[in-house]
Amino acid sequence: MLEIKNLHAKVDGREILNGLDLTIPAGEVHAIMGPNGSGKSTLSYVLAGKDDYEVTDGSVTWKGEDLLAMEPDERAAAGVFLAFQYPMEIPGVATMTFLRSAVNAVRKARGEEEYSTPDFLRTVKEKAKDLKIDMEMLRRPLNVGFSGGEKKRNEILQMSLLEPGLCILDETDSGLDIDALRIVSDGVNALRSPERCMLVITHYQRLLNHIVPDRVHVLSKGRVARSGGPELALELEKSGYADYGDEATAA
Amino acid sequence: MDLSVQQFRSEAEQALLDLYERSVDALPGDASVAALRQSAIWTYAGLGLPHRRVEAWKYTDLRAAIAEIPPLLAESDAPVEDTAFEAALGKAFAQLPAYRVVLVAGAVRTELSDVQGLRDAGVEFGALAQMLESPPEWLMASLDTASACGDDVLIALNTALMTGGVALRLPEGVTLQKPIHLIHLDGADAPGSVYTRNVLVTEDGASATVLESFGTLGRAGVQRNAVTTVSLGAKSAIHHIKLQREALETIHLNAWVANVGADARYNAFQVSMGAALARNQVSVRFVGKDAATDISGATLARGKQHCDTTLVVEHDVPACESRELFKLVLDDEARGVFQGKIVVARDAQKTDGKQMSQALLLSETAEFDSKPELEIYADDVVCGHGATSGQIDEDLLFYLRARGLPEAQARALLIQAFVGETFEALDDEAIGDAFAAVSADWLGAPAE
Ligand SMILES: Nc1ncnc2c1ncn2[C@@H]1O[C@H](COP(=O)(O)OP(=O)(O)O)[C@@H](O)[C@H]1O
Ligand SMILES: [Mg+2]
Repeated sequence: MLEIKNLHAKVDGREILNGLDLTIPAGEVHAIMGPNGSGKSTLSYVLAGKDDYEVTDGSVTWKGEDLLAMEPDERAAAGVFLAFQYPMEIPGVATMTFLRSAVNAVRKARGEEEYSTPDFLRTVKEKAKDLKIDMEMLRRPLNVGFSGGEKKRNEILQMSLLEPGLCILDETDSGLDIDALRIVSDGVNALRSPERCMLVITHYQRLLNHIVPDRVHVLSKGRVARSGGPELALELEKSGYADYGDEATAA
Repeated sequence: MDLSVQQFRSEAEQALLDLYERSVDALPGDASVAALRQSAIWTYAGLGLPHRRVEAWKYTDLRAAIAEIPPLLAESDAPVEDTAFEAALGKAFAQLPAYRVVLVAGAVRTELSDVQGLRDAGVEFGALAQMLESPPEWLMASLDTASACGDDVLIALNTALMTGGVALRLPEGVTLQKPIHLIHLDGADAPGSVYTRNVLVTEDGASATVLESFGTLGRAGVQRNAVTTVSLGAKSAIHHIKLQREALETIHLNAWVANVGADARYNAFQVSMGAALARNQVSVRFVGKDAATDISGATLARGKQHCDTTLVVEHDVPACESRELFKLVLDDEARGVFQGKIVVARDAQKTDGKQMSQALLLSETAEFDSKPELEIYADDVVCGHGATSGQIDEDLLFYLRARGLPEAQARALLIQAFVGETFEALDDEAIGDAFAAVSADWLGAPAE
């Protein structure tokens, strides 16, 4: 479903991704682990289409189409969703207004009908309830004054509203306590389906106890250094990333 | 009459004197009003039109901008269709529930206005032209407030040439449930000048929201000079709100002058999006303790529009609070000016004054000039000011686009969010929504 071949990308003139290969078949969840600075967020931004990330070589194919040729909003319409490591705060935009604009923009681009107001409200209410998001929170400006956990839950709410085919989660577990981690993981697991694939980026193994991946890849110096089953995550938990160019061992 | 104090006059400067000479006999008012006019035109004759070497007009050279002086616009009784209203003000403002007073060339169009409703609600209301013929004491006092603005040429010209407008007085304790909406609609097939003076007086404990909106009818450009004086009695409150959405040929000169009594609140809010050149002055003077003012608003300008907002807050007495927040969205070669002066007199201890202006520049050629001035003669005060200018935040733009919003829509949303923060100063949700709708119109984005 997602096919990344020999991906090279530069930021600020510095090569961060360095010949990365990765294939995720439909229905599978793959985890990317790796030391800080190994290029995990960079990969997520390149997939989502951020401007200052320049792809210098390689290709990314999504459902047979050239992902790199698309604008960020076209990628969203094509089903790519990135849950940001650091969700943006936008004062002056009510969260609800934002959700509605996003959902309707994507539906319109997909040739689907826009939601009516009551339908939209009902859908949001249902999904917000599952994620233990208070409707009052959605009336506030987008992410402004939200706690770390609230921001992450808000990302998952957006993910489930936008019905993506490729879910990229960038350190969604960071800053979450154990209850919030469970809520978020349940939200993500609810979206697992044979038509979807997921790329779960994390520094720590604990998220993968909740979202059990089909494959685990270790990113180091901008390329996949090792791949394996879920047991690889447990192994890293013990050994840390010392073998992958990180002095400070994790976990 | 020898009006030769000023040595050199531009053609337009001379034409203004000629306009006065030609019109003076027909201008409304009794002998006391005529004397005010006479003294005001002398003030003008001595100073001429303000230009960039006049400190308060540093960035807005009116003498250079005004080439011709069109005749005073004649009163008209041509019908004004609902569609013309909507085109001039935008649908949201045209439909806003309010006591509506429509002014064309300064004259009250009673058939389009709800004067009876206002009177039933307890407001003393009169068309200025009629009231000037035998002005009550409170009206004369308010006219003097403007005369006290000594060397302000904009106001002096208004006093000399005012032909219309309204006078409104809220007796003690009267509170209005609906806003008063003063709608200034002008324009014709030929250019014209319009000089209006509105007078607002709230006696002790009275409160009202007064919205003034400015739109264009017809095709040709208008030179507008509109002044409103506001006198607030003790514990009274006025929310004074303005929408300026005039055609691009317009020159819009506007001054609000408020005297604020003890424990009173004067909130001024203005959004400017029309006119080739707009000058918006708000001057607030605290005359009683423990009063407060909030002056805020937004400018939306593109093309070669020039919009100048100049605020003066005078803390003459102790323990008053002033807040100022203006946001400017400037595209193309538009120029935005923000000047904010805060004067704290020696006795005005415990003054709390804050000022902020922020510009969002959408093009490389747009320009923002900001000039804060703090003159503080008391020692126990908290005063601060700030000005920023920046571009659209690319990270925020990416976040929105990654959620599926096409670039133009994402930009519009961010611009609206930037401007929308000022709307929070409005207590009235319907008016806030109306501003959100007209600013969305301006952005060409669908209203949410
Ligand atoms: N916008 C940027 N400008 C400059 N350097 C960047 C930028 N984004 C990332 N980098 C650099 O790229 C490297 C990889 O960063 P990142 O992808 O965030 O790593 P990870 O998410 O694995 O911790 C780091 O050395 C980081 O400093
Ligand atoms: Mg990262």
